[in-house]
Amino acid sequence: MTLSDRMLKIDRRIIFLMIGLCTLLPLLYPVGLPIKISSEVRGVYDHIESLPEGSVFLLSIDFDPASKPELYPQAISLLRHAFRKNLRVITMTLWVSGTGMADQIVTQVAKEMGKEYGKDYAFLGWSPGGQAVIINMGQDLYSAFPSDYGGKPTKELPVLEGVRNLKDVTYMVSLGAGRPGVEEWYVFGKDKYKFEMGGGCTGVMAPGLYPLLRSGQINGLIGGLRGAAEYESLIGQKGKAVAGMDAQSATHVAIIILVIMCNLIYFSKRRALRAQGHLG
Amino acid sequence: MDATIFGAWVATGLTLLIFSFLYKDTPLFKFAEHLYVGVSIGYTIVKTYDTVILHLIIKPIAENGEFALLIPVAIGMLMLTRYVPKAAWMSRYAFAFIVGMGAGLAIPRTISSFILKQIEDTVRPLLSIAGPDGLTFSMNLLNPASNLNAIIILLGVSSVLFYFFFSIEHSGTGKAVARIGIMFLMISFGAGFGYTVMARMSLLIGRLSDLIEFSDASYGRPTIWLVIAVVAALVILSRRSSTGAQEKQ
Repeated sequence: MTLSDRMLKIDRRIIFLMIGLCTLLPLLYPVGLPIKISSEVRGVYDHIESLPEGSVFLLSIDFDPASKPELYPQAISLLRHAFRKNLRVITMTLWVSGTGMADQIVTQVAKEMGKEYGKDYAFLGWSPGGQAVIINMGQDLYSAFPSDYGGKPTKELPVLEGVRNLKDVTYMVSLGAGRPGVEEWYVFGKDKYKFEMGGGCTGVMAPGLYPLLRSGQINGLIGGLRGAAEYESLIGQKGKAVAGMDAQSATHVAIIILVIMCNLIYFSKRRALRAQGHLG
Repeated sequence: MDATIFGAWVATGLTLLIFSFLYKDTPLFKFAEHLYVGVSIGYTIVKTYDTVILHLIIKPIAENGEFALLIPVAIGMLMLTRYVPKAAWMSRYAFAFIVGMGAGLAIPRTISSFILKQIEDTVRPLLSIAGPDGLTFSMNLLNPASNLNAIIILLGVSSVLFYFFFSIEHSGTGKAVARIGIMFLMISFGAGFGYTVMARMSLLIGRLSDLIEFSDASYGRPTIWLVIAVVAALVILSRRSSTGAQEKQ
């Protein structure tokens, strides 16, 4: 059996082990590779940075724990930034399975930043309907969310003073792991009610959202763990995303090496078969 | 036991049980998988009942007398007639309402957002007017708004559209254009695959970060103890299955 035959029949568990080690070792012994800030992530950061104190910032946490590793650091960084800028932060979710996690994220960051519920921020919770909720919020926010997550009437929340519908929102970011998410917020929200909007998404979704970014339909995009790491670097509070970047780079190098090796083996085997006259 | 510590043990245990699939499909993996599905569905049902039935229907009707809410409730209830074969036809009214409303809302907005706006962005000037100097051509590949990128986008969109145009045979010049279209598609798939790899690795990083965190003494080192327990269980299961196979022979 030749080396290429042996490589092609390699136990897949060896590859799993290799990828596992490439991920684990940099997490245990971080190198601290530099993180370059992309223009799409800077778009969201710069816009929040330009907002005056007291502006209404709406964050829709449209993901559940299955996408937590990628979107949780994004949510934490965005909330830290918004609270630091003293914006009025309104949070909500369109994903029923992410309600508890969203509440935990908002409460944790608000506590860390010394913000008061109702006065500085609010968590509206979840309301059924996906895109219908967005349209409903565009007409009357209090009809879509008569009460907040804790059951308190939303009309009594000082943070929502002067906010009747989505037209009164200064800036909105949807952190989406699927549908409903960034696209729905654009189609049924921004495009109809004309507020400025940015997005955050999982790595899988990012290529599909680039056309919206390029055409200016959204003004920034935080893509996956990489985007979260860039945002953490921008606000100067490095967290879980930055910590994972070394591991991300190491596994990418390992996968590139594997892809190159597989191609070399494939072509060498093809050449050998052709030499033996098995291929035309 | 503190809830955080208990949570750390549960999270570590379930992560390791799911990871056991990388070795092979075992009852340990199946247990964790079924538990995950069950908990997700259970959570969704409870949250939906609390938010929709209690807070959006019963409370407003009972406390504020908003009886108009009974109309959508009645339409929704028609869906349940699917379970009664003789009355199943009534559910069509509910479906007709949902499909009609959904299509009415989605079609104009989708056309505006994904077709008109995207066409507007695709059809960009290939040359720019720069003040009194006249026409200019920017070559910066890194600038999405450069003229060179406008040409690449035009070429990409036209060639990919031609590739999916099957009414004429792809031969001669047509074949060359279709080939360019395939190349653009391959680059697009490559970018998509690259991002997918990144996303999956991020999930692995997330789980491993938690496992590292939970190996701390403050949690009672669940990672270490549970790795030992899961490996031991896998060895036992593996031995049992090999003994069973020998007995069958």
